[in-house]
Amino acid sequence: MSDTWTDRLSEYIDGTLAKTERGALEAHLADCEACRTTLDELRRVVARARALDDRPPASDLWPAIAEQIGVSSGAHRVVSLAAHRTRRRVTFTVPQLAAAAALLLLLGSGGAYLALHRPPAGAIAQRGDLTVSPVGWVEKTSSRYDAAVAELQSALEQGRASGRLDSATVRVLTQSLVTIDSAIVQARRALAADPGSAYLNQHLADTMRRKLELLRRASALAPART
Amino acid sequence: MELTSPGAATLRRDPDQATGGGGTGDAETADVALAASGDGSAFERLYRTHVARVHSLARRMINPDVADDVTQDVFVRAWTKLGTFRGEAAFGTWLHRLAINVILARRTTLGTERGRYYDAENALDALPGRPMVHDLSLDFQQAIGRLPDGAREVFVLHDVEGYKHEEIADMLGIVPGTSKSQLHHARMALRKHLE
Repeated sequence: MSDTWTDRLSEYIDGTLAKTERGALEAHLADCEACRTTLDELRRVVARARALDDRPPASDLWPAIAEQIGVSSGAHRVVSLAAHRTRRRVTFTVPQLAAAAALLLLLGSGGAYLALHRPPAGAIAQRGDLTVSPVGWVEKTSSRYDAAVAELQSALEQGRASGRLDSATVRVLTQSLVTIDSAIVQARRALAADPGSAYLNQHLADTMRRKLELLRRASALAPART
Repeated sequence: MELTSPGAATLRRDPDQATGGGGTGDAETADVALAASGDGSAFERLYRTHVARVHSLARRMINPDVADDVTQDVFVRAWTKLGTFRGEAAFGTWLHRLAINVILARRTTLGTERGRYYDAENALDALPGRPMVHDLSLDFQQAIGRLPDGAREVFVLHDVEGYKHEEIADMLGIVPGTSKSQLHHARMALRKHLE
């Protein structure tokens, strides 16, 4: 059964009817059992839709995705992170590069300090152009790293205050630093819960090194663009 | 197709708050940052977290037969576009909108434009009469799949995913009034398959 109000029931459920129409419809519902029944059914449809479960695919799609994007899907993918990283070129916007380069100049020693304080040669395994850190290196260098980050942030403030970095550039750089630092904080939390984990040590070192790599790239590329 | 962020606050089923399917705040933020710099393991973790939601969206929006292929496409595109993710919305919200864009583009490729609008009062009559009693939700989902394309898309986006009519109209290139009308027709048809 249908009447002039039936087609407005969904709007009533969704709360999009005007106040006057809502009042008129409610008055109609009081006298129309058919509309009350339809309204109840429509509400059940909405409730069912909201309760639908998300189901994963029947088969794992990750191996095919990993192949398409050029990363390993095997059990040993963790230990080849650096190799994966080099397969996907990291790109940055010109403002990011310019800002990072300017900060490097202001810092003087911030990023270079880390570059000069690598783990002992005997404990280092080379992976492409990156250096793999042994377990424990993170603990030994984290305080120096924190100091360098603090110096970097201080320089950022100086650059902003002096006007050498425009606000848009500072915003982009700040956001990038926050994102990377968030990854570092998370890795440190995990490491605190499991200090002996070789993977977590590696993970944290890689993340810290990623930030350093950004600064190195900026240092090498930005002067030519500015 | 430009990727824009939906009104995250309007999503009833925010992908980062969905039970068992959402990210975990800082950990996910960290994984996004790592994945954006080329970390495949971090991206796999993001995949594991969100694949059920993306696959379910594809299954309901377009066709179960191509859901696997569409889901792969979504994650491959997400990998290539991670550099454009600026964190204005949650990663799950960004990925969800990317998935919708991929699905809508695929819909055109598959030539499913025909019969988009609800033009048959009894479009679901061909469905089996009574559902299997042990899996009512599956029958309801089958009924969703039998809706005309336009009505199905509006129903899924509004009632399942929680988008507003204005957002849906923008995605589908229709006016909000059409979205409301299609939604009502879809609901009216589906009430026959509640149990």
